[in-house]
Parts: sequence; structure tokens; C-alpha cells
Amino acid sequence: MAQNLLKIKTKNSVAQTNPPHFYWREVDGAYLISNDSGCHAWLDAAAFKRFSAGTLREKDKAFEELSSKGFIRDRLDFADLAAKWKSKNSHLSCGPGLHIFVMTLRCDHKCLYCQSGAISLSAKGADMKWPAAKKSVDFAFQTTAPGLTIEFQGGEPLLNWAVLKKTVSYARKKEKLSGKRLNLGLVSNFSRMTEGYARFLLENEVSLCTSLDGPADLHNRNRICSGGNAHVSVRKWLRYFTRRNTGQGAGYRIFKPSALLTVTKFSLGRAPEIIDEYAGLGLEDVFIRPLSPIGYAKNSWSAIGYTAADFVAFYKESLGYILKLNRKGAVIREKMAAMLLEKIIGFSDPGYLDMRCPCGAAVGQIAYNYNGDLYTCDEGRMAAWEGDDLFKIGNVFRDSYKKAVSCSTARSCVAASELHLQPACSRCAYSPYCGVCPVYNYEAQGSLWGNMPANERCAFMKGIFGILFSKLKNSKDREILQKWVKK
Amino acid sequence: MKEKISVSVSLKSYKADTIRYAAYAVSGGAYVLLGPGKKGEVEAAFEPKPNASAKYRAGLQKLFESELRDEKMRSEIADANRELREFMVLKALSAADDAGTQAGDYAGLTPAQEKELDALIAEVEREIKTETAGKERKDPLGITKTWEEKHGSEPFKNKNKK
Repeated sequence: MAQNLLKIKTKNSVAQTNPPHFYWREVDGAYLISNDSGCHAWLDAAAFKRFSAGTLREKDKAFEELSSKGFIRDRLDFADLAAKWKSKNSHLSCGPGLHIFVMTLRCDHKCLYCQSGAISLSAKGADMKWPAAKKSVDFAFQTTAPGLTIEFQGGEPLLNWAVLKKTVSYARKKEKLSGKRLNLGLVSNFSRMTEGYARFLLENEVSLCTSLDGPADLHNRNRICSGGNAHVSVRKWLRYFTRRNTGQGAGYRIFKPSALLTVTKFSLGRAPEIIDEYAGLGLEDVFIRPLSPIGYAKNSWSAIGYTAADFVAFYKESLGYILKLNRKGAVIREKMAAMLLEKIIGFSDPGYLDMRCPCGAAVGQIAYNYNGDLYTCDEGRMAAWEGDDLFKIGNVFRDSYKKAVSCSTARSCVAASELHLQPACSRCAYSPYCGVCPVYNYEAQGSLWGNMPANERCAFMKGIFGILFSKLKNSKDREILQKWVKK
Repeated sequence: MKEKISVSVSLKSYKADTIRYAAYAVSGGAYVLLGPGKKGEVEAAFEPKPNASAKYRAGLQKLFESELRDEKMRSEIADANRELREFMVLKALSAADDAGTQAGDYAGLTPAQEKELDALIAEVEREIKTETAGKERKDPLGITKTWEEKHGSEPFKNKNKK
């Protein structure tokens, strides 16, 4: 597309009068600059001064790099910059791809940080019934996205096995008729898993995800199970599904199981032990997630919560340890880093709904409650569980797809998570890769917009971005991190 | 240790929006109240939040002044590049490829697709040129106008006051 390369030769050696639009952030005396297409570069203070004043010369050491990355106004390759922008924001041309089905509110765990609003095993009327499940599948297939993922959650979804099984079969049938690509996933604590359930799930290519918070004492402290030792079932079934994944050859795809790590106050200072637990089980991804002050965690924050600085220190230690294992030949990634790096150095959209602009609420994902109520996301459903229906966008029995995804709630979430409208984000060097969460803002700060300078989630993310960009400056770490993106 | 501080900012040196954004940037650690100062000035009053550190309190004024300088530069860069940014985003949105196309995937286009894409880009470029050729943007609802442009230059005046 050479003909689309807008390249205007300068008459003299001063390459620019004004720089094109860029974001910047000072980090320890150096400057990180980024642009809308997601390109970034580091400049020392003197070079930054020349660059921002528009007096950078061609002979300047940084000139070639800045030129190739869209930071020199009269050397802009619009075709390349536009392609990068489009690729990084490909979600803008799709409808909701993630459909979260809450199969039941019942659960046999009482996790310290639970945000899903689980209730006791004996509770009545808390399971998704077949008519609601069928209607939910039909609703989900109306998405304008070319493919969709139905994720079964709870409570503990296996407690409603009969309806879950029927829903899986129906969704697979629907996939054939619709021509849309369908992924199925199950998020379970594995306490109720059986050989029979496992066989059916594998045969239907359902991917499996669980929670693993670290070694037994830590996991069981965070995730209290009424039926015994939660850690034992998680390890048992992670090994089982990993073995099946290694074996393959069954005539259907068997996905590698995955696990999520929720960091509580009790995790702090134990990063290497936790990572070793993952590596020992053959898991290739550790997804380090901070607590959110939503649901049960909001009430128990003083017991299990921490500051953004505490979390960032934990994350830094964990990432450093994972990189060390990589240097020794281990195959293990930190999932959040991998997804953010897909944007930072891969210029692509990793499908990370919490970290995109606008956020995934209603336009990227929909949560289907057990009774057919629709929410912008699972966090929005939880806010409702606490008594506030602000994030409800409809009901599968009463509302059309169009009405739900274009309702005023959905639009408000889109507007509030559009970073160019957020006063602090629209000026932040990390904004080409970041995203805000209206539900978090609402729960933590009392409005969809929040106040980013005082927002703990923003502080978490700024900390993580700071660590990642600094690792990218180190050639050995960069080499490893690049492999995570290509994987 | 300083508690409440007040800073006068000249509207000749900084636009009202620049002052607002700079004040917002320090609102994580302090409550901020912007109000009219002497003629041609805005009075920015800051009260550190209870959990603000002593270091933060001591450096608050310098932090705000630094944010003012940064914000002025941001504002100038944004103003100078508004059309360029819009052009790039329009070009990205109008590209006739599938969702999720990776950067650099254009190499696989057929000559006919190349031609079609070039024609489309040329059309968009023409449209942008026409739309921005010294004309006012269409804005019947006044969405792009600031409060001051709509309601006058005294935003803090209570119009119900007799």
C-alpha cells in the first residue's frame, strides 16, 4: 500500500514544527510516549524537550524510531497507523461475544471474596430452569458478533447439572443451524465434578476453568468449602483435565484447563509459593487478579483487602518470579500481562473485556441471571444482588436483543467507559491499552464515571503498566514477553 | 504543614478548561473548588483529603502548577492535531476489511480489492477535505460548545439570585 503512505519531504533538516498528537508520562526522569495507534517509545528528558517543542532533527538518535512509530508529523504512515488502530480496536465492529449464564446461585463454597452472590445448597428457586436456559441460548445467538462464547457460572454451575447438560447440547445444535462459531466454557470449583460429567463436558468441547489461590493452606483459607478440602478437588481435577489434554486423540478438541488467582491480603508475601503451585500442576497461565470491592468482598474488605501499592508490589514480585522461571526454560505466563502486551506490542485486541474502550458492558458481554434477567456484566449482576438494579438491561422473556443492548443503561456504561471522555484517562500515556469499569466506579466511588485520580483500580493498573513498560526496556525480559504474545 | 491553599490563575495564561483539567488531576488527594478570582483570574482552592500524606500536602501547590504547565501543552497538542486524529480514526473505521484484521494484513488483497480500497480512501479524504475546508462544523445542539460559550463568561454566577 505504498501509494497510501503520506510522506512529505521536509525542505530542511528540521523534521517537524509540531509533533502529532501523543500522550506522555514521566517515569524516573525518562519519558514514555504513546499514541492512539498504540505505538510507544522512551525518550530521555533532553530528547523529550526537543520532541515536544517540535525541534527534533533527523540526525537525532531517536528520530528514526519515532518516525517509524508515528511520532513525526510529516512522516506519518496513515495506512499503517490506521491498521494498527483498527486491529487494536476490532471489538468496535462486533456485538457481545461473551454470554455468562448463571446456572444457579447455590454453592458449596463460602469464599471470603465471593462477588457472585452465592447462597446455601438447600435454597429453593435459585436454579436456572430449562425454559430460561433455552431462551437465554436463543437470545445469545442473536448477537451481531461472528462468534460467541457461552460461559457457565454460578454459584457452582455443576449443582444444576441436568439443565446445564441440556443447555450445552442445545447450544451445540444451535451452533450448527446458525453458522456462528460457538465456544463453551465452564467456571467451576470442581467440588461436584464426576467422571461422567467430565466425559460429557470434554465430548462437547467445553473448556474448563477453576480458581486456584495457591498452596493448600492459602487456598482453603480463602475458599472455604462446606464439603471438605477445596484444594484437594481443584488439584485432582486440574491434573485429570491436563492429562486428557496431553492425551488428545479422542476425536474432539480437549482444551488445557485454566485457573484464576484472586489475591487477598493473605496472598501478599507468598508470590513464589503460589506461582510454584501453578507450575507444579502444569498450568501455563497464572492470571493474577486484584480483589474488587463488589459483593461479599465489599463487606469483608477490612479483613482481606489491601492498598493498590500492596497489590502492585505483589504483582511485581510475581512477574519477576515468572520471568525467572521462563529463563530456566519453564513455559508459564502471567495472563494479564500477556493480554496487555497483545495491545502494547502486538497491536491486536486480546478480547479482554475489562480493559478495553469502551468496556464490554452490554456491547461486549451480557450476564444472564438464573431467572432470565439480563445484566451488563457479571459485576453488574452482583450490584443487583446487593440491592441495586442499575445495571439490569432486560429479561430474556420480555425484552428483545436490540432493546437490551441499546437501552439507556448500556449507553451510559459505554459513555462512562469511553476513555476520551474521562478527564484523566484522555491524558494518560497508558490509555491506548487501558479500560475503566463503570461497575467498579459505581461500587467504589458512587458514580459510573468515578474519579480516576482517587480510583484504586486505576492505581492498580497504572502500577501494572509501569512494571510492564519497564520490563520491556530490558532486552532479556522483552524477548520472553514477546513470546507470550505470539503464543 | 500547609492545610487549605488557594492559587490564583490568570485566564490570560491558561484557558478555563486547562485550569479545570489540572485541578482534576490533583483531585485524588485534595478537595478542589474553582471559583471566580480577581478580574481575569480563577481562584483554585485546595483542601487535602484526610488520608493525604504530609509530603503530598507540602507539595500540593507545586503539583498543581506542574499539572497546569503539562495541561497547557496537552491542550496545544490536542488543538493542533484534532483533524489529523479524526482523519486517522475515520480511515481506520472505513477500511473495508473484516473485524479483527491484524496490522499489515493488507498484503493479501487482490488488485481489485486494492483498487476498491484506494477509491474508498480517496472518497473519505475528499469528504474530510470538504467538511473541514474553512467551514464551521455542524453542531445544531451546541454539543461542542463550552458552558461559557453557551451561557456567558461568568460560570459561577447564580442566575436566580436577585
